[in-house]
Amino acid sequence: MIKHLFKLVWNRKRANILIVAEMFFSFLVLFAVVAFGLYYADSYRQPLGFSYENVWNIFVISRASDPQNVLTTKQMLYQALKDLNEVEAVAGAQTAVPYESNRSRRRHSHRGRSILVEVGRVTDDFKEVLGLKIIHGRWFEKADDALGWDPVIINQRFSREMFGSEDPLGKNIASAKAIREVRVVGVVSDFRKHGELSQSVNFLLERILFQKPSFDNFMIRVRPGAPATFEEKLMAQLQAIVQDWTFHIRPMSQMRASYLKLRLAPLITAGLIAAFLMMIVGLGLMGVLYQNVTQRTKEIGLRRANGATAEHIYKQILGELLVITTFGVAAGTLIIVQFPLLRWFAFISGKVYIISLAISVAMMYLLTVLCGLYPARLATKVHPAEALHYE
Amino acid sequence: MLKNYVKTAFKVFLRRKFFTFISLFAISFTLTVLMVATALLDHVFGPLPPEVKTDRTLGVYELRWEVEAGDSRSAQDGPISYAFLDRYVRTLPDVERVSIFTHFFSSPVTSYKDGEKIESYLRRTDGEFWKIFEFNFVEGGPFTTQDEKDANFVAVINEATRKRFFGDQSAAGKTVEVDGQRFRVVGVVANVPIFRPVPFADIWVPISTSKTRDHLDRQNLLGGFQALVLARKPSDVPRTKEAFRVSLSRVEFPNPGHTNRLYAQAETFFEAVSQRLVGSKEESHPERLLAVIVGFMILFMLLPTINLINLNVSRILERASEIGVRKTFGASSRTLIGQFVVENVLLTLIGGLIGFILSFLVLQMLTHSGLIQYAEFHINHRIFLYGLLIALFFGVFSGVYPAYKMSRLHPAEALRRRA
Repeated sequence: MIKHLFKLVWNRKRANILIVAEMFFSFLVLFAVVAFGLYYADSYRQPLGFSYENVWNIFVISRASDPQNVLTTKQMLYQALKDLNEVEAVAGAQTAVPYESNRSRRRHSHRGRSILVEVGRVTDDFKEVLGLKIIHGRWFEKADDALGWDPVIINQRFSREMFGSEDPLGKNIASAKAIREVRVVGVVSDFRKHGELSQSVNFLLERILFQKPSFDNFMIRVRPGAPATFEEKLMAQLQAIVQDWTFHIRPMSQMRASYLKLRLAPLITAGLIAAFLMMIVGLGLMGVLYQNVTQRTKEIGLRRANGATAEHIYKQILGELLVITTFGVAAGTLIIVQFPLLRWFAFISGKVYIISLAISVAMMYLLTVLCGLYPARLATKVHPAEALHYE
Repeated sequence: MLKNYVKTAFKVFLRRKFFTFISLFAISFTLTVLMVATALLDHVFGPLPPEVKTDRTLGVYELRWEVEAGDSRSAQDGPISYAFLDRYVRTLPDVERVSIFTHFFSSPVTSYKDGEKIESYLRRTDGEFWKIFEFNFVEGGPFTTQDEKDANFVAVINEATRKRFFGDQSAAGKTVEVDGQRFRVVGVVANVPIFRPVPFADIWVPISTSKTRDHLDRQNLLGGFQALVLARKPSDVPRTKEAFRVSLSRVEFPNPGHTNRLYAQAETFFEAVSQRLVGSKEESHPERLLAVIVGFMILFMLLPTINLINLNVSRILERASEIGVRKTFGASSRTLIGQFVVENVLLTLIGGLIGFILSFLVLQMLTHSGLIQYAEFHINHRIFLYGLLIALFFGVFSGVYPAYKMSRLHPAEALRRRA
């Protein structure tokens, strides 16, 4: 039966090759949309590792030629923020402010294994401000000032990649040339700085000393229920300390909202366009099949006269369609499996990739069957007598 | 003859309405997407107010500075220092005007009004800025070079900012406080959308009102500034580019003894963007960016084209008797191809018309969504022309193969079939 269907399709290969091409391209489009959709949905589901509610960021543009002056001013600002009633905790941060796009990366190595990791620099109160969760070891503490090595906190993903199932605590990950050792003191579940729509990456938090604050962001946790006017008051306080500097105060929930808006708008647009493309393909396919059926009246009539039931005809038309779809999908799959081999789109995990492939194959068959139903039913209506007296 | 083709075409369109609908749906959707894309590109790169002199305006937007000393190499790139632009761009010979201004900085400055936060993008400029750009002033006028020299605290604001600070009242003569500084408003201009990053701002004030005098420091070549050069006429543009190259060669570096290399160009905005996206540090390759854009458009057309070809090929036999008769009476294959391509182009043009209406609606929606700050999309004659071009291309692209197939039908075979 199947062999026969292939033969039928093969006999009309000139006409069918174009339909196969159409299936092929639509399959690629469908896969791309499903894969990206799933990738973002999957990312969105993963825990962020921090909480953004009641957290505000203050970006500081300092203006002073003398570094000592910058230092004392920042210390004054820190103290002033701490003294405010509405503020629960204050931290300094550099390349560690969530939803901001800047990043700093470097290589760390352990026993000859070198891995690229994103680095954020924070002060000791950062954990309290952002509600980070230590799952192993400890957070930074005051006593770390006296250490002869640099303590760092890493996320679970980095720990797994660098140390496998080994305990990362106390291990030195400094590069071979470094003078000071860099030792892991704790592991956080995760810290997804780049927000809900990003995948988890290797992350490392480094300690900034308040004696030499090299950071441009103060992050504060505001007491829940602080009045809306607090922001203006805060700004006035900061400006009063140093008139020349510029401050940007932003609640993190606002930063998150604009981040989501900016990232989602192109995704939604692409999804809508793809949906319309699929609709066009579906309608076009229906037209083509309809046309084919009306032109094959003779052949179908002959089959009916020889005793084929309506169900047989139905099966033949849909069967041929499925064979054509299979050609298109197979060609598409052949292309799609090249991407992981070429390390393209490597950020999409294997699991998401395979599931997307399965879903898009299923959707492709569903689409073609839906488009084939009406023309196939039309074919069963062909009356043998009429068909045979065609000539 | 063309009239006959058109007549026949309409008869054919009306004969099978469902098929005509499917084709039109596909065509108009495809053309809508492409036309909206064209409109967006035109609004980013086209000559629209205030940037109306794009054909003779060149920008010096970024500088790359590489230093080599023994083994160590370092490189910096980004916007340029005021002192550098003042020395090597403002002095360019034979140009109409030069303006220096701060680059587009992604963090807005903050003001408060009755407890409400107002965020505005601030840009510091000189007086020439207002003579290169043609802003549409709804109140007052620009500040002048003299204002800049005297460090007067004056500001030009846009309509959106006027609304935020003063509601529906006029703003001229009143003061606004931003980032801890107070400015007297001298003019109000129509909003400039954010995707025009060179003129865009909410509030424009003189450079000399900066909080520090750091920008006058000659030690660093990089800083927060950009410059625009207005050539006297469009044909002077290559000469101006060359003049800037010459000017670069006489830059004095603050670190004698090191090997310094500078990369910067006087370039159009499109060239600057293409350098970032597809060029190298030395060259900008605008033609490559153009090729990428056109390539993407054709790639997008591919699926609808195959779809349309399939549909048309499957309908060849509908026309069998007509083709048979025409051929027996001596019509050549070429004439028939011509006829069928014209038919397809006609259908595409109707689709294009629907596409225009749909694009207009989509652009209206985009304008009202507020997704892009201050964006107001209109369809102008350029977009209409490009849209027409795209529609024609699409019509021919998707019409040739089915037309060829149709013309190949054997007359005897065609006539034998029942109509």
